[in-house]
Amino acid sequence: MRILLAEDDPLLGDGLRAGLRQLGFVVDWVRDGNAAERELNEGGHEAAVLDLGLPMKDGMDVLSALRSRGVRIPVLVLTARDAVPERIRGLDSGADDYVVKPVDLHELAARLRALVRRSHGQPDEQLSVQGVVLDAAKRQVSLDDQPVTLSSREFDVLHALMLADGRVLSREQLEQRIYGWGQEVESNAIEVHIHHLRRKLKPELIQTVRGVGYSLAKERP
Amino acid sequence: MTGPRSLQGRLLALVLATVSVVWLAASALSWWEARHELDELLDGHLAQAASLLVVQRAGHGSHEDDDDDERVEAPMLHRYGPKAAFQIWHEGRLSLRSSNTPAEPMAQTRSGFETVTMNGERWRVFATRGAKRDIQVYVGEQLESRDSILQGMLRGLLGPMLIALPLMALLLWWAVRRGLVPLHRIGLAIAQREPRALQPIAADAAGENMPSELAPLVDALNGLFERIATMLDSERRFTADAAHELRTPIAAIRAQAQVAQGAGGDEQGRQRALAATLAACDRATRLVEQLLTLARLESSADGPGDAVDLSHVAREVLAELAPAALSRGQSIELEADVAVPVRGSATLLSVLVRNLADNALRYSPDGARVVVTVGLSQGRPLLTVDDSGRGLSDEQQQRLGERFFRVLGTAATGSGLGWSIVRRIAAVHRAEVTTGRSAALGGLSVRVVFAA
Repeated sequence: MRILLAEDDPLLGDGLRAGLRQLGFVVDWVRDGNAAERELNEGGHEAAVLDLGLPMKDGMDVLSALRSRGVRIPVLVLTARDAVPERIRGLDSGADDYVVKPVDLHELAARLRALVRRSHGQPDEQLSVQGVVLDAAKRQVSLDDQPVTLSSREFDVLHALMLADGRVLSREQLEQRIYGWGQEVESNAIEVHIHHLRRKLKPELIQTVRGVGYSLAKERP
Repeated sequence: MTGPRSLQGRLLALVLATVSVVWLAASALSWWEARHELDELLDGHLAQAASLLVVQRAGHGSHEDDDDDERVEAPMLHRYGPKAAFQIWHEGRLSLRSSNTPAEPMAQTRSGFETVTMNGERWRVFATRGAKRDIQVYVGEQLESRDSILQGMLRGLLGPMLIALPLMALLLWWAVRRGLVPLHRIGLAIAQREPRALQPIAADAAGENMPSELAPLVDALNGLFERIATMLDSERRFTADAAHELRTPIAAIRAQAQVAQGAGGDEQGRQRALAATLAACDRATRLVEQLLTLARLESSADGPGDAVDLSHVAREVLAELAPAALSRGQSIELEADVAVPVRGSATLLSVLVRNLADNALRYSPDGARVVVTVGLSQGRPLLTVDDSGRGLSDEQQQRLGERFFRVLGTAATGSGLGWSIVRRIAAVHRAEVTTGRSAALGGLSVRVVFAA
């Protein structure tokens, strides 16, 4: 799951990036408000962690600008501003969650997963289709109750497809979701991950739509 | 003077005392005046009566025999008769006397007034002789009667006062109470405040207009309220700011510590996270120190102290900062040729210089140049810190000194408190701080001009 982290404090930003990576997120880190706004406008992230006291442009302004342009990415505001009116203002400005520093990394990860899940209309922490069950929190996948070992990238591809819930995702979209900045993407990486997923799970689980992308076979009613 | 503890009681006592004294003085004066007039009048009467007797006796001739003692005594015709007396002597013999006189002459003198004691009473006697000197007349009057007239008059003067005084006290009590109503109102207004209410006392708290006697008091109180409010406000802001500003370093410590905890087999990552944890701890420590410095500064109202040599202070601070600067390839220079005495605290002044020089070094790139000068400008001590860094935009310069304002786009990890501290120390030393672009070096130039 690829998220954007907007935090100007070098030590905190570094810590959050490292910590979220450990928990399976792909993290892109920007240090000022302008960069945050630019990246969020471009899309490509599943969610954003936004500090409010950002250089160049305040986080609240970034958020308002984003929402007024109709960008609906889930945004978790992470800030030192703890006064209730600030929280209210943050949520009213379009934040999906409001967390006051300091925050536990696991809690932050859980909140991000919940935001992403909800943004895809999936209320459960566990996603399942055709006997394949994906637990995003534990980063575990099982097939017919038997645990399956997936690489981190394979998990991310499967997670993205399951969240898409039958919609077709292009190769570029998949790449965008699982690779952060500065990460080399081999030209056929996605194909390789899809191949491995079909082999480890069920061949018919992932459908290829030629020239368009991939989608998860919908459960037969 | 320790009088009644209530202002009202005190006023009442003072007014009553004044009125009584004036009244008594007026009575004494009246009494003295009346006595004088009375004496003149009654003496006149005595003299008149005597001369009448002389004339009448002279008209009698000297032929009749009035040797008879029985005939000598004149009858009493009025109940006040015994208070008056007379004797008429003819050729050395008592020819006629009132019954209350003895057979001897009433007085020693033969002509004029004399006060004598007769039958145990004090008498005022007038003596005169006829033209032929054969008739001697004495007319006397008991002094007691004069005294009783005067006493009667005095009673008339003082009597009403004894009744009037309590009545006046009552009226005065009411009047004073009414006069002091504004004071009561103010007292009530203050007493009824919420314990934490620090708004100024309203101009109409004492009624329509603030009495001029109360205005200075109310002004002083309002000034005090304002100072306390400012103090409380800065205290409150400090607590809020401190809590707010410590959240980020603590969040960093927590995040990095969790990264180290979750590093698993990634030993390199763990070491990196632990180093970052320590760095975050150091930063939090520095922040706490700065916050405490600021808090101490804000609660201290120290006036200027002894004369401190600013050049000496700057030299010591720069010596401390130089090693770190040199390791970044930065050059730091001090231009301070003469001793520049400034009244103030050496500790605070070195904090001021350190903050300014440290900022210049911190926000300037490696290899930059920082020049600190200490001198006099139009007789006023002057400290300047110039650097060859990027400088600041006007807007950024304006925001310097706002708490926690950080110049953006730099890698330096400032707390944004340094400038608050600089401004506060400058204020304590009555110095002005201005910023601008350095003409010589192109970066930021900070000028601190102290009071002469």
